[in-house]
Amino acid sequence: MTYKVTEEANVSTVFLNGEIDMDVTEKAKEVILPLVEAGKEVHLNLKDVSYMDSSGISVLIESHQKALEKNTKVVVKEVSKSVLKVIMMAKLEQILNLE
Amino acid sequence: MNLSESKDFLVSSASLKEVRTFSRDVFEKINLPQEQKDELVLAIAEAAQNIVKHGYKGVDSTTDRMEIKIALNDGKLEIGFFDKGKAVVPENIQHRQLDDIKPGGLGTYFIKQIMDGAVFKKDEKGWVNHLVLTKKI
Repeated sequence: MTYKVTEEANVSTVFLNGEIDMDVTEKAKEVILPLVEAGKEVHLNLKDVSYMDSSGISVLIESHQKALEKNTKVVVKEVSKSVLKVIMMAKLEQILNLE
Repeated sequence: MNLSESKDFLVSSASLKEVRTFSRDVFEKINLPQEQKDELVLAIAEAAQNIVKHGYKGVDSTTDRMEIKIALNDGKLEIGFFDKGKAVVPENIQHRQLDDIKPGGLGTYFIKQIMDGAVFKKDEKGWVNHLVLTKKI
């Protein structure tokens, strides 16, 4: 997994790339959670994420819940078809902010 | 068509990518919709992850290996997982309730959604756990 972060006003956009599994979840959290902790609105762009398992879904849930605590939000954007299917299997499409 | 292929992997989260590659390579030989292949790869990866995460919980690193065997016989897919981690008590395995939104606890749920059956067997000498996932395809 690789990533790129861009900043614009109070919005940080994290572009994730590759496959998100248990092996890279700590790295993903280290990128995303400090931005949420800082009160930023975080956009997770998943257009280049080709695979995500339950560990990746956990990162999305943890980020979303941390954002609620900090009165901000995490928006999940440009989800690929294969990742959307996993999100829907977990019945999270109405919970996460998907765009 | 019938086939049977197996491969062993170091028990490590770093092996999960290799597990997926092996699974994808096997399913390339089977005429299935890509969507179903993706689901099967996810189920296999989740089961392998459970070995790393739960079977070796508290173990920083190990030289142990796990084996995955994918067999197709007359339209019945059987996927075996062999490991030497902590003995699984099948009755203790349960996924979290989906409306209890929190990180974790989804891997087993995904496996149950994707596969027709998941059974632990006690018939493999030399291994501690032998999980068999089945699906009619």
